[in-house]
Amino acid sequence: MPEHDPEQELGPKFTSALHNQAGVQNDLQTTGLAQEARRRVHRRRQTWAVAACAVLVAGAIGGVWSFAGGESPVATSNSDSSGDSKAAATNKPEGVAPSVQAQVGCPVDHPVLTAPGPDAVPAGTGLDLNTMVTGLRACRYGFAEGETGLLGQESFNAATAQQVVNEIKVLPERNAKLPVFKCAPQVSKPSEAIVLRFDTAAGIREIWVWYDGCESAGFFTGTHTYGLFSAPLKLFMTGSVRPSGGTYLDALKDW
Amino acid sequence: MAAEARTGPLDFEVWVSEKADALLRFAYVLTGDASLAEDAVQDALTTACARWGRVSRADDPEAYVKRMVVNAHISWWRKFRRREAPAADPVRTARAVSDGTSARAESEAIWALCATLPDKQRAAVVLRFYEELSYAEIAQLLHCAEATARSHVHRALAALKTTLSTENTESTENTRSTEGAEDA
Repeated sequence: MPEHDPEQELGPKFTSALHNQAGVQNDLQTTGLAQEARRRVHRRRQTWAVAACAVLVAGAIGGVWSFAGGESPVATSNSDSSGDSKAAATNKPEGVAPSVQAQVGCPVDHPVLTAPGPDAVPAGTGLDLNTMVTGLRACRYGFAEGETGLLGQESFNAATAQQVVNEIKVLPERNAKLPVFKCAPQVSKPSEAIVLRFDTAAGIREIWVWYDGCESAGFFTGTHTYGLFSAPLKLFMTGSVRPSGGTYLDALKDW
Repeated sequence: MAAEARTGPLDFEVWVSEKADALLRFAYVLTGDASLAEDAVQDALTTACARWGRVSRADDPEAYVKRMVVNAHISWWRKFRRREAPAADPVRTARAVSDGTSARAESEAIWALCATLPDKQRAAVVLRFYEELSYAEIAQLLHCAEATARSHVHRALAALKTTLSTENTESTENTRSTEGAEDA
């Protein structure tokens, strides 16, 4: 009895059925899509502008507070007493003027907290890995109930920042050694992520790092995805931005 | 910004008016629901509009936007919003409509089966048999291994085989009972 390839045998049935259904569906609204897209983009940009202003104002207030000797409500490298944190604190670039954003630190209300997906880095804010970077601030954000918001931050000098970029840009799109996890949507959402904020000549540019949950893991620039490997993680997962674990981190082991 | 102002407005609107129908039909077979399809396409076009300078320079902007539609559909955020529970195993929820032509009934049965497939499995099937992509391309789109993409499709094919054999059995039984009634 010859063995049939199910794809050859049944594939055309799927093709035919899907084309039939696509063909008979005439209720789809094809007009006004472009206008609505433009309206949403315009509204989104307005929201971003307002949010950016709010962050700057909040940062300025925070800066004044720090200057006056107040304690930041957020865990930072200075508030963490580990050796790594001390190293990070001395890791500030010398002779490189920190940007306004770097002085402000990690925004408390960052887009990653409401991102529709791991690759939803807002247009124009992702780092082009061929750009020269002069500093890095790693911001760790939590999504779990009761722990939403900024969990910690660390600063790194130009050399470390460039090393992180160099380690990421050679990575493939996916780490094939990582297992493919399957879980219910309710638990697939990661409990935390890290935003790498690089100082560049054009301003702050970001890479989002996802390592928890069970849908996606890796480094996301908005235009490119790089697989999650331990080499770059070791460079910045220190002090208050070192997570206790994560679905994919646990699988990586040597981070 | 200047480039966007120069190339954006006209090109984007013209392109959308030409491709909207194909995008919506693709999204419809992917989601199985007209309103979900419209939402997915609108979200993808909004993202595309914001990056239109880059999207329009891509080799195949339509494929680029379809990729956005797929990503939007299988994203954990969208699933979370839909509060959808994964189906353990594909099950046939609707009987095939018997309108006299077996091909039509079969097509309806396959469509009903598609509605019961988990999102990624369905997406793999649509990308394989509607878009005719290779397993490597499907794996890239679904952020999974090629073997996983292949497995998604083969599970769907196995479910289809079961559905069609059940269909044939029921049809034969119906014919026999009709003939029996006529003889009596």
